[in-house]
Formats: sequence, C-alpha cells, structure tokens
Amino acid sequence: MLSEIAAAAISFSIGSNNTSNAFGIPVGCGILNFRNAVILIGIFVTIGSLTQRKVMETVGSIASLNRNLAVVVLTISALMIVLSNLKKSPVSSHQVIVGSIVGAGVATATAKLGILIPIVVSWILSPIGAMFIAIVVYFLLEKIFSRFSVFVVERILFLMLILSGVLVAYNTGSNELAAALAPLVSAKLMSPVEASLLGSFFLFIGALFMGGRVVETVGKGITALDPLSGFSAQFSAGLTVLFFTNVGMPVSTTYSLVGGIVGVGLLKGVKAVKLSVIRKILITWVLAPLSSFLLTYLAIRFGGVLI
Amino acid sequence: MKFFRRFTFGRLESEVVELFEEHMNTVRLSTEVFLMALETDDKGLLNQVCELEKKGDKIRREIALKLYSGAFLPAMRGTLYKLAEVIDEVLDMLEDTAVDYLRLNLHLDEEIRGMCVKVAKINVKMSKDLIDAFKNLKMGKSLERATVKIRAREREIDVLRNRIYETLMGKDVKNYWEGKVLSDFIDSLVSVSDLIEDAADLIQILNVSLR
Repeated sequence: MLSEIAAAAISFSIGSNNTSNAFGIPVGCGILNFRNAVILIGIFVTIGSLTQRKVMETVGSIASLNRNLAVVVLTISALMIVLSNLKKSPVSSHQVIVGSIVGAGVATATAKLGILIPIVVSWILSPIGAMFIAIVVYFLLEKIFSRFSVFVVERILFLMLILSGVLVAYNTGSNELAAALAPLVSAKLMSPVEASLLGSFFLFIGALFMGGRVVETVGKGITALDPLSGFSAQFSAGLTVLFFTNVGMPVSTTYSLVGGIVGVGLLKGVKAVKLSVIRKILITWVLAPLSSFLLTYLAIRFGGVLI
Repeated sequence: MKFFRRFTFGRLESEVVELFEEHMNTVRLSTEVFLMALETDDKGLLNQVCELEKKGDKIRREIALKLYSGAFLPAMRGTLYKLAEVIDEVLDMLEDTAVDYLRLNLHLDEEIRGMCVKVAKINVKMSKDLIDAFKNLKMGKSLERATVKIRAREREIDVLRNRIYETLMGKDVKNYWEGKVLSDFIDSLVSVSDLIEDAADLIQILNVSLR
C-alpha cells in the first residue's frame, strides 16, 4: 500500500509541476483555458507512458532497489517537488528522482555510476539543444510566415501551439512520468502498465488541483511571449525531449522549455530575457539533484530505513 | 466547447473579418452620401449618414462580442478591437459633420463649398483605400500602396484645411454661433481623414502582430 501511495504522490507532484511544460505557454498566451489544458495533458500523458519504456529502463538500472528503498526514493522526491511548486519555481522531477536513486544506490553500494555520465550530459545538452532549435525554428517561421496573410498565420499558430503542447504532454508521459515510476517497476512492486495507469491518473489529478501555480511562472515569468516565440520555445523543447526519450535518456522538459524560451529571448535581445529568473532556475538545477541525493543517502544510512 | 469550435477552420474569425469588411463599406457609403449631400446641397440625405453611424455602432458591438467569444489569438484581439473603435469613430465624425452641416442656416460660400467638396471627395477615396488595405491584409499582399495613398491624401487634406481657414478669415459672419458652427463643421470634415489614417496604421500593426 505504501508503494502505491508513494507512486500516487510523485505522479501528483509531476502533474502539479509539469502542466506548465505542456500548456504553460498556450495558457500564458491565452489560447487555452486551464481546464482544457488539463484534459489534454491527461489524455496524452497516458498515451506517452503506455507506449514508451526506454527511459523507465534506464532510470531503473541506476541502482538495485527493493520495496523500502523505492518508497524512500519516491517519498523524498515527491516532497521536494511539491515544495518547489509551492515556492513557484519549476524543478525537474528527473533530477530529483535520479539524485534520490543515486543516493539510495550509494548508500547500499548498488549504484551503477557509469550510467550517470550520459544522463548528466543529456541534462546539460537538452536545454542548450532546445535553445538552438528554438532560434532556428523562430528564424525559419518568421521567414515562412512573411509570405502569408496574418489571418492564415494566426490559424497556423493556433494549431501549432496546441500540437506542440500535445507533443510535450506525450513527452511528459513517456519521459518524466516514466522516470518517476521507474523505482516502482525496478523494485517489481508494479508492472509497467499498472504503474503507467496509476501514475497517469494521479498526474491528471495533480495537474487539475495544483498545476496552475507553475503555469504562471513558466508561461509569463521569463520573457514576454508572443505566439510565435511561444511556439518556437515549446516546439523546440518538445523535439529535444522526444529525441532524448528515444535514446532512453531522462531529460527535463522544464529545462528544455527554459532553454527554448531563452533562445527566442536572445533573438529579441538579451534584455528580453529576465536574467534573474534564469539565475534562480540554474541554482535549482544544481541544488535539486544534490539535495535529493543527500536526503535519500542520509535517510537510508542514518535514518534507520530497513534495506 | 468554445475551444473545440475554434478548430472549425476559424468560423468565428471569418465572421469577424466579414464584419470588418461591412464596417469599412459603411464608412465608404457614409462618405459618398455626405459628398452627394454637399454637392447637391440636399440636406435630406444627411439623415442617411446618421443611420449609417447607428449601423456602424452595431457592427462594432458584434465585433467586440465575437472577439470576447474567443475569435483570434489574444495577441491580435486588442488591435482588432481598436481598429473597430477607430472605424466607428470615423462614422461618428461623419455624423458630427452632417449634424454641423444641418445646423448651418446659411448657404456655404461657393469658394468654401468648393474646397469642402474637394475634402469630401478625398474622404471618399481614402475610405476606398482603407478597404483596399484591409483586402490586402486579408490576402497577404503588400499594404504599402494603399497606406502610402492614404497618407498622401491626408496631407492633401491638411493643405486644404489651411486654405479653407485662410479663406474663412476673410469672410464675415453674422454672429458668434454662426461662426462657431461653421468652424466646427470644417473641423469635423477635415478630421475624418485623420481617423482613416489611424485605421490604416492599425491595419499595418495587425500585419506585423504575429511575425
């Protein structure tokens, strides 16, 4: 029972944090209302989590986990993500979960640290990649759109923003949620399908009740987003995460999206990017996995957790 | 449901575009009726200008309701509504001009009338240029030709306004009120072109709003 509660808590936390990744920009631009965004995220996260397993396998192979370790990893991760949401600062659930699994692995001497190298490289490359893709996408679309009527451009942008939101929602299921559920599946507490369905349901509930808070930070906080910039940032994040999902790397949609937003912000001039917000996100980027690593390590080594 | 309706290939958006076309055609009609009234000195025609103003008001309200119902991306809605407001102001100004003309109990001096007719003719041309500019916006064509014409015609009216006032200063008026109504009439007549130019500027802003 404790494992189900932990899985529900982490999925709820991802839902509360990641609604912004998929539909923060369309909601920020006023294209979608929050209710419709939550419905779309529920549908496409479920599809993503049921159809893609590579990330789950990679994260599950970082350390050997049993029931107790899986519960500790997920509980600490869930607490950290919920707290960061309450502080209105987006945090990567991947980093928290991977940090926590490594903490459990180091504490029990079962960690395969070699797997960490491609994972950390992916964490660094994904926002940078999204930034460059966003610049290219923005540049190309600006050229292409100049040939069409503004009314045609409006229609295309409307559809593309929704479609890229759907892509990111799919990625959330196939990458973010898959990584979060990996400890449960790895500890053989649930089958991948059971874990995916349970996770998707609680992710939907989390998005419904707490997703609105982070939507405000990502959609409106970093740079003033017009629809073309919003699409370029989000679509680049979607493509980046889709690529890393297909090579089995758990990467953060949040940071890819931030990379995309910075990319279009840079195109408009550095002044368009709120550097203070970027600095805050970078600090979280470093602190989140380190904190979850330390907390889990200490809880297992000195907290009397049975292994 | 509102969200899913937006996928029906922009039905709401098409309706807004059609309303704008109707709004601008109302302006064209109003300028033509006013010109005819001025040329023929048939003050009975001026009632039609007032009726067209009411029609324009109704169109503006319909545009506002459709924009509020979710037509177009939010990045465009503000400018679109501002455009509807400015077009409505053109019709208001034409109505004011018509009312001032009705209040004039004197027959206009022929020299002044001639210049006012010239201004009214340019207003008609500008309203047609505005329709062209919007048509080009809709078709994705260059707006330059239409907007340059509008600006040039507006400058032409500025020159005429100065000439009208120079001529007026040499004329006698019976009393203060006759002079005031005459001055208000001229002011309103020459202000129509300013508003049409503002509307053209907004069409240009719309053209770059999503690029």
